[in-house]
Amino acid sequence: MGRSLALVAAFTALIMSASPELQGAETVWSGLVIAENVAQPQPIPSELTRIEGSLKKLFGYNQFQVIGQSRKLLTTGQEDWLATSKFFGLHVDARGESEAGYVLNLKLYKEKELLLETDAKLSKRSPLVIKGPQVGSGQLLLILVVQ
Amino acid sequence: MKTFEERWTAWLDGQLSGRELAEFEASLPDKASAEAEKAEAKKLGALLKREIGAQTLMNEEFFSHQLRERIARETAEPSRESGGRRIEVPTWWTIRRLLWTGTASLAVFLVFTIFVVRDKNPAEQSQYLTQILNARVDPVVSPNATISMFEAKEDRVTVLWTEGLQSLPSDYAAK
Repeated sequence: MGRSLALVAAFTALIMSASPELQGAETVWSGLVIAENVAQPQPIPSELTRIEGSLKKLFGYNQFQVIGQSRKLLTTGQEDWLATSKFFGLHVDARGESEAGYVLNLKLYKEKELLLETDAKLSKRSPLVIKGPQVGSGQLLLILVVQ
Repeated sequence: MKTFEERWTAWLDGQLSGRELAEFEASLPDKASAEAEKAEAKKLGALLKREIGAQTLMNEEFFSHQLRERIARETAEPSRESGGRRIEVPTWWTIRRLLWTGTASLAVFLVFTIFVVRDKNPAEQSQYLTQILNARVDPVVSPNATISMFEAKEDRVTVLWTEGLQSLPSDYAAK
C-alpha cells in the first residue's frame, strides 16, 4: 500500500514537472497609433500602459493616440482580422500557434495601397511595435500585444 | 431380537450397557481376544477419522495449517541455530533496499530534470521576445525605405523600424 502510494506520487511529480505549459485561447490587441508631441498630452491608452516607457524612450513622443484597433480572441491560431482607421488598415493573418506564440502575417495598407508587409512570431510576453510612415507632425505606429 | 452381529457392533462402539452388556460379554467364547479386537477397532476408527478429516480440509483450514506450520518452523529454527538469539521478521523494506530505492529515485529525477530543463531553455528564449521573421516595403511607393529590427529589453518590446517611408499629411491621422 505504502509502496504503491510512493510510486503514484513519484510518477505524478514527474509528469507534472515534465509536462509543457498548457495553452489556452488568448486575445491579441492590434492598434494603429499616432504618436506625436503636444502641449497637453492625453493619458496613454490602457493597452499601452505596460510599454509606455519604451514607446516614449524609443520614439520621443509624449502622446499616443489610438486611431484604429481590433481585439481578437484566438482559439485556433488560424484566425485573421483587420484593424482600421479612416485611411489605414492593418490586416493580421494568424498562421499557427506554437508554445512560443503566434505566427502572424501583417500587412499595412494606406487605403488600398500596400505599404508594408512583415511576418513575425508574436510572443505572448513580448509586444510588437512597427514604426510606420510619418503622418503630419506625428508618427504612425502599429502595435500588437497578446493580452 | 438383535442378532449377534448387531450386538457385537454395538459392543465395539460401546453402546451396550447394563444387563444387555453383561449378557453379551458372558456369551463371548474368548473375552480377552474380543477386548483386543475392540481395541484394534477403536484404533482403526481413530485412524480413519484422522485420514478422512485431512481429505476434507477446507481452504481456510489448509492455509491456517500452513501458517501454523511456518510459524512453528520459523520459531524453532533461530532458537535451534543461535540458541535464543533475537528473532528477525523479514520485511521487504530493509534498510539496504530503502537506500537503493532512494538513490535510484533521485537519479531518475535528476536525469529527467536535466532533460526537461535542457529542452525547455531554447523554447523559453523564443517565448521571451517576439521575433520578426521578415519584412518588406513596396519599392515603388517607398523606393528609399530601409528596415531594421531590434529589441527593447526593458519592456521586452520587439521593434520593426522603418525609415524613408512616404510621409503623409496630418489628415491621415483621422480615426
